Amino acid sequence: MKSKLTLMLLLAFSGLLSANETLETEFRTNGSLMHGVVDRARQSLQEFSAVIYDGRKEIGYGIVVTEDGYLVAKWSELKAAKELKIRINDQLFDKAALVSGDNQWDVCLLKVEASALKTVVFAENSNLDQGSWVIANGATSRSERRPMIGIISAPSREIPAEGGAVLGIEIIEKDQAIIAGEVPEISGAYQAGIRKQDKIVMLNDKPLKKREELVEFMKDRKVGEKIQVTYERDGKTTKVDVVLQGRADTFGREMTRNDQMSGDVSQRRSGFPRVLQHDVQGNSKTVGGPLLDLDGKCVGMNIARANRAESFAIPVEELREVSQRLVDQARAK
Amino acid sequence: MIASLLSHMKHYRWMLLLLGLATTGMAQDAKRLSINDKKVPSSAEDLKAIQSALKSALPAARKATVCLELGQGSGSGVIISADGLILTAAHVTGGVGKEITAILADGRKVKCESLGLSSETDCAMAKIIDKGTYPYVEVDHEDISKLGDWVFSLGHSGGYDKERGAGVRIGRLIKVADSTVQSDCTLIGGDSGGPLFDMNGRLIGIHSRVGANLSQNMHVPIREFQRHWDQMLKGQFLGEGPFAKKPKKGSGFLGVGSVDGPDGKLLVEKVGRESPAELVGIKAGDVILKIDGEEIKNKSAMQKLLKDKAADDKLVILLQREGKEIEVTVRLAER
Repeated sequence: MKSKLTLMLLLAFSGLLSANETLETEFRTNGSLMHGVVDRARQSLQEFSAVIYDGRKEIGYGIVVTEDGYLVAKWSELKAAKELKIRINDQLFDKAALVSGDNQWDVCLLKVEASALKTVVFAENSNLDQGSWVIANGATSRSERRPMIGIISAPSREIPAEGGAVLGIEIIEKDQAIIAGEVPEISGAYQAGIRKQDKIVMLNDKPLKKREELVEFMKDRKVGEKIQVTYERDGKTTKVDVVLQGRADTFGREMTRNDQMSGDVSQRRSGFPRVLQHDVQGNSKTVGGPLLDLDGKCVGMNIARANRAESFAIPVEELREVSQRLVDQARAK
Repeated sequence: MIASLLSHMKHYRWMLLLLGLATTGMAQDAKRLSINDKKVPSSAEDLKAIQSALKSALPAARKATVCLELGQGSGSGVIISADGLILTAAHVTGGVGKEITAILADGRKVKCESLGLSSETDCAMAKIIDKGTYPYVEVDHEDISKLGDWVFSLGHSGGYDKERGAGVRIGRLIKVADSTVQSDCTLIGGDSGGPLFDMNGRLIGIHSRVGANLSQNMHVPIREFQRHWDQMLKGQFLGEGPFAKKPKKGSGFLGVGSVDGPDGKLLVEKVGRESPAELVGIKAGDVILKIDGEEIKNKSAMQKLLKDKAADDKLVILLQREGKEIEVTVRLAER
């Protein structure tokens, strides 16, 4: 009798201990029980945070900005997509078009054939104190968006381009001329039409012959700046505007130990004029959607998962300007 | 995968300390934020209560959080007294008596020296040497935090960035054991040694390491510091690792070439360039009289004494120069 009692006590005690030791997943900061608490934000995600696919593969999120089907999203993650599809709420749009983009912010405009869509509700401003709750799209099913929560982690600020601003051309100096080597698809030069083997003859109105002249020309330039590049191909001369991008964002980085710890982060994660920094967890495919406040209003657009502990969002002031401009330009055509 | 959080450090740590028994529940304390008694926030109002507690605790917590730079790497730490006592991680300081530069929240750099550490559980102390009054935080000595409590972390992720400062992250205590607590505040390299706070801004732990999963963020709880407090203050190196390695005896380097003089005295013949000896002003021609109070009469006596010393050990050397006695304190380098 006595031994039986001891055993029972032990069981009860150890049960309590194990319950005490680990917090069950659903109670954690991003556990399922938190979803109901941020219901207004969840509703917003459902209505105007779109899910973007390449074929059947989820590649990012977007924000619905007009009733007739214009959306904005993170550009660089979508550039290589072959078969763009977009889900808004529970409706799948099979044919989505990439209309245009803004290199400086890495924002693109997308279009689907639709009407009477619910559109983004912008917050008045992005003046959130550090420590303020923010919510983003964390995962998705066919019918439902799942909120992830976090806080504003640091002051809003510029994230200078790692390695400085570049045209995005590997430079080969040959017979008193500059020839394009590799031109990564993600680069500003490639976007403008420059390809491997093109001869670069002029930058703005400056003739170009040597590498040093190029280095001198590029000194202190910023991401987003437009440079008129004159190049020759098959004896034909062409002038194009190249938007400068960050060196590391264009050519990649040497993997650091922090990168190894961070896993799947955005390749383009620097060279932004201003960002909000928050700690909502994610990866390279959970960006492009809205960052929301507790009222479900959009305070920004997630533009980069920078590392294990840092996520960046374009503040709503700048986001409004960029998306308005892209939509206006598209409508004017 | 468990990796340490010292930014740019060469070596990895792949280990996770085994979880011991959970601490039993503690008496209710008014200092604990009441929202912590709910298993999960039930309304936006609850979330706002957490947010407003965090916002009022954050400024003071941030002021006391420092970036620690030493050698190749950088970590974080937190000041806990007005005269500049710092708590950090053992794998950040890496040893006792090391010179460290602390960068305060406002960008000011101050000189520090590491005190003792517990190499088994990743606790360490350091002290700001430059005299001054420093911003500091209160330590949760009563150990009132519990599993599930809301917490926030600060740290100089990836090194000091003045425009950014120490980034703040929120989470809950999701595992609690004697010598390790786990939260879902995401950490990364450079956060090592940084502070984990309760929602009233009291220090409850120090960042140590992470796993591959974003919820695997390990901190050393304050009770583990308390266990070794006095020994660490006295500068003792505790345990045999894995978070810090004791320097080997005989690994210390002084940088003096000596020769036995004719009158039973030990003469400095030459001093190595940029050696510890040169740094404290020992010169060729000096006579070495005593080291750490022990009379040194010849070369073999000095060699015997140095054999017992390790890198970073300090020696007090009594010299004779032009008839005058001079005392210098030298920190040995790594041989």
